[in-house]
Amino acid sequence: MLSRVAERVYWMARYLERAEKTARLINVHTALLMDLPGRMEINWFTLIRLFNAEKVFSEHYERGNEANIMQFLIADTNNPSSLATSLANVRENVRTSLDVLPEEIWEQANQIHLLMTNSLPRISDRYSRQIFLREVMKHCQCIRGALDSNMSRDHSFDFMQIGKHLERTDMTSRILEMTSLLLSDDRSDTLRKYDGILWTNLLQALSARQMYLQHIHSRVEGQRVMRFLMNDNVFPGSVGYSLAAMGRRMRYLPDPEMPTAMAQRVLEHSQAQDVGAIPAEQVHTLMDYLQSELGMLHTEIAKTWFYPDRNGQQQSQGL
Amino acid sequence: MKKEWNQYDPGSLYDELIAAVHQPREASYKLVEYLRHLTPDRFRQCVQESEAVIREMGITFTVYSDAGNIDRAWPFDIIPRIIPATEWDRTEIGLKQRIRALNMFIQDIYNGGKILKDGVMPADIVLQSKGYRQACIGMTPPHSVWANICGSDLVRHSDGVLYVLEDNLRVPSGVAYMLENRNITKRVLPEIFNTLPIRPVSNYPAQLYEMLASLRPDLDDPTIALMTPGIYNSAYFEHAFLAQQAGLVLLEGADLVVGNDNYVYMKTIKGLERVDVIYRRIDDDFIDPEVFREDSMLGVPGIMRAWKEGKVAIANAPGCGVADDKVIYAYVPDMIRYYLGEEPSLPNVPTYVCRREQDREYVLEHLAELVVKPANESGGYGMLVGPHSTPEKVEEFRKLIQEDPNNYIAQPTLSLSVTPTSCETDTEADVHRRADDPKSRIKIAPRHVDLRPFILSGKDIFVTPGGLTRVALVEGSLVVNSSQGGGSKDTWIVGDVVEGEEV
Repeated sequence: MLSRVAERVYWMARYLERAEKTARLINVHTALLMDLPGRMEINWFTLIRLFNAEKVFSEHYERGNEANIMQFLIADTNNPSSLATSLANVRENVRTSLDVLPEEIWEQANQIHLLMTNSLPRISDRYSRQIFLREVMKHCQCIRGALDSNMSRDHSFDFMQIGKHLERTDMTSRILEMTSLLLSDDRSDTLRKYDGILWTNLLQALSARQMYLQHIHSRVEGQRVMRFLMNDNVFPGSVGYSLAAMGRRMRYLPDPEMPTAMAQRVLEHSQAQDVGAIPAEQVHTLMDYLQSELGMLHTEIAKTWFYPDRNGQQQSQGL
Repeated sequence: MKKEWNQYDPGSLYDELIAAVHQPREASYKLVEYLRHLTPDRFRQCVQESEAVIREMGITFTVYSDAGNIDRAWPFDIIPRIIPATEWDRTEIGLKQRIRALNMFIQDIYNGGKILKDGVMPADIVLQSKGYRQACIGMTPPHSVWANICGSDLVRHSDGVLYVLEDNLRVPSGVAYMLENRNITKRVLPEIFNTLPIRPVSNYPAQLYEMLASLRPDLDDPTIALMTPGIYNSAYFEHAFLAQQAGLVLLEGADLVVGNDNYVYMKTIKGLERVDVIYRRIDDDFIDPEVFREDSMLGVPGIMRAWKEGKVAIANAPGCGVADDKVIYAYVPDMIRYYLGEEPSLPNVPTYVCRREQDREYVLEHLAELVVKPANESGGYGMLVGPHSTPEKVEEFRKLIQEDPNNYIAQPTLSLSVTPTSCETDTEADVHRRADDPKSRIKIAPRHVDLRPFILSGKDIFVTPGGLTRVALVEGSLVVNSSQGGGSKDTWIVGDVVEGEEV
C-alpha cells in the first residue's frame, strides 16, 4: 500500500479515537461536576489541564468558565484536540483514502460532519450538548463497527489498529496522570469525601466501569483502578493491553524491527512498577514518561513506513 | 402535483418529456403520470430527501474562490430526463463511429499525417491545436487508441435532432455524478423503477477497469492507478469515487517515480512497486516536467520515457488533446468519411470555419446571429453569443476574426431543448400566496439541458447508456456548468413497456 495512504488511515484512526474519547470525557465530566460541590480542586478547568492545553486556552479566552471551556474543547478549531478539529481530520483523512476503506465509512464521516455543523450553535446549552455528545460517540462507534465487520485484515487495517491503540494509550495516560490529584496526600477533605465517585467516574470516562466490576470483583478503589487501567491483560482500554496489541500489529508490517522493539520497551517500562503502590508524584512522572515515549514511537512509525526516504523529519499531521 | 403539471408549458421549445401541453411523450408517460399523482407535500419531501442524501453521501464539487476552496453540495433535480431506447441505440452507434474516426485521426497525425497529405484538412490547423504534442510523434499506443475516455457533449435543437457540440478528449469529467444521480433517484423515487425498463448505468466502473486493463494485454493482472492532481482539484470527489468504485489505486504524482529501468513505481510501505496502467486525471502539459512544463509539481519526471517504451500505459494517451479543438471539430464529419468510408450518423452542429474565405464572409455578415468560439478555449471562455450580446461586443469580435481568422469558428445559435424541472416559485403572486398556502412553493418549469455520454475505448468500445444530463437552473439560461448555476438530472434510457408485465 502507498506510504501516503498508510499515513492517512493511521491518522484517521487516531482522530477517530480522540474524538470519541473526548466526547465521552466531556460528558462524564459534566455529570461528575453535577455531583460535586462548587469549589474544589476538580472543576471545569481540570479538562484543560488534562489536554495540556493551558497555554492555548489562555491565549484565546479570559475566563475558565463552563461556556468557554466547552467552546474550546468542542468547537474551537484553534484547539488541535477539539472535537471539531478531530472530526474534521477524520473526514479529511477518509476523503483522501476512499479507495481503501469500506464505502459506508464516507457516508458515516459525512453524517458526523453534518451533525457537528448543525449542533455547534447549541452546545452552550447543557441539555442539547449531552445529546450531541452521545450522538458523536454513537457515530464514532458506527464507523468503528463498519471497519471491524467489513474491512479485510490488510495493512490498511493494521495501520488503523496501530493508530487507534497509540491514541488510546495516550488518552489513558493523560487521564491517569490526573489521578495524582486524587492520590495526593495533601488533597482537600472535600475531595477525600468524594473518592468513590471520582474513581468510578474515571472508569466511566474510559468506558471501563462494567469490565472493572466484572473482573476485579471489588468495590471501586483507587489502587485497584490504577492497576486495572495500567496492567489488565484482557481489557482493551488498558495501557498494557494497547501497547501489546500495537506491537503485535506492527509485526504484520514490512521491516517492523525498530518500531516493534520500541513498543516493547515502552510496554516493559510501563509494567515494571506497581502503579497501585507508588506515591502520587511518581504516578505523574511515569505518565509523563509514557506520553513522551509515545511521541517518539510515533516518530519511529512515521520514519519506518510513512517517510522511509526522509528520515522521519516530516510530521505532516497532528500534535 | 396535478395543478403544477397542468400548468406546465414549454412553449415553442423542444421538450424532452412533453410533446404538447397535457401530453407526455410515449417513453415519459409513466413517469409524468407518477409525478402528477404525488401530492405537493410528498413531492417536496422527495426534493428534501434528495438534498439530505447528497449531503450524506458527500457528493460535492469544489469551487475556487478568494475565500479558499469550498466543497459545495452537488445541485440535483429529481425529475429524470428520458430518452427512448430506440433513439439512444442510434445515438450510441453514432458515438462509436465518431470515436473510432477520432482515434484513427490522432494515430494518423502522429504517424505520417496521411489525411493532411491527401488534402482533407490543412496541416497548419493541426499544428496550431493547443493539444498537439511534438513529443508524441511516432508513438502507437495499445490498440492504436489515444482517447480512451471521451465525454462528448450532445445538445438537441428545436428540430428535435441531437447534435454533437464538442468532444472532450483530454480529461473529461462528470461520470461520477452520472452514477451518483442514479443512486439518489433510486433512494428518492424507488417505486417508479418497478414499472419502467430503465437501462442500468452501474456497470461503468467495471467497464472502466476492463478498458484500462486491456491497455496491457501482455499482463494478466496489471496494477492500475488513478492519478489525481490532488484534493484541491475541482473534480477530486470524482477521482476518489472512481478509484473506490473501480478498485484503482488513487495516487498523486508525488507517489510515483520512474526507475533506471524506465518502469514507473509507486512508493509503498514495502518500498517501490510497479504500476502498469495510469488513468491520469491531469492535463498532459503537467505529467512530465522533463518533457512538458518544467514548473509542474504534479507530474512525474521521466514518465513520458516510460510510456514511449511501452513500460506503462497512460489513459488518455498524451497528445490525444490534439483532436479536442474547435477548428478540428469542424472536420470530424470529413474524418469519418475519410477513415471509415461511412456517412456520419450523428450530425455536427453546422460550423463555419473562419479560415475559409467563403465561411468568413458569411460569418462577418451574420455575426449578430451566430455563436463565435476561439479554437483552443474550453468552458465557454472567449465566446461571442451574438443574439445575447451588445453591438460593441459584436464589433470587437469582427476585429478579432479579421486579425486572426484561423483561430475562430462560428455556429448558428441553437435553441437548446428543455425538460420539466422543479423550481422554487418566486413570482410576486406566489410570494403572496405563500404566506397562507406553503404548498404552492414548488412549481414545474421548463429548463434547458444538454447531455454528456461517456465513451470508453480500449480493446472494445463501450458507451454509457445515457450519460450526465446537465440543466441550467436559471430561467432562460443556457449555462449548464455547475460552477455557474447549473445542476444535473438522472438520465433514463427507457425501452418499450410491455403491458401488464412487471419489470
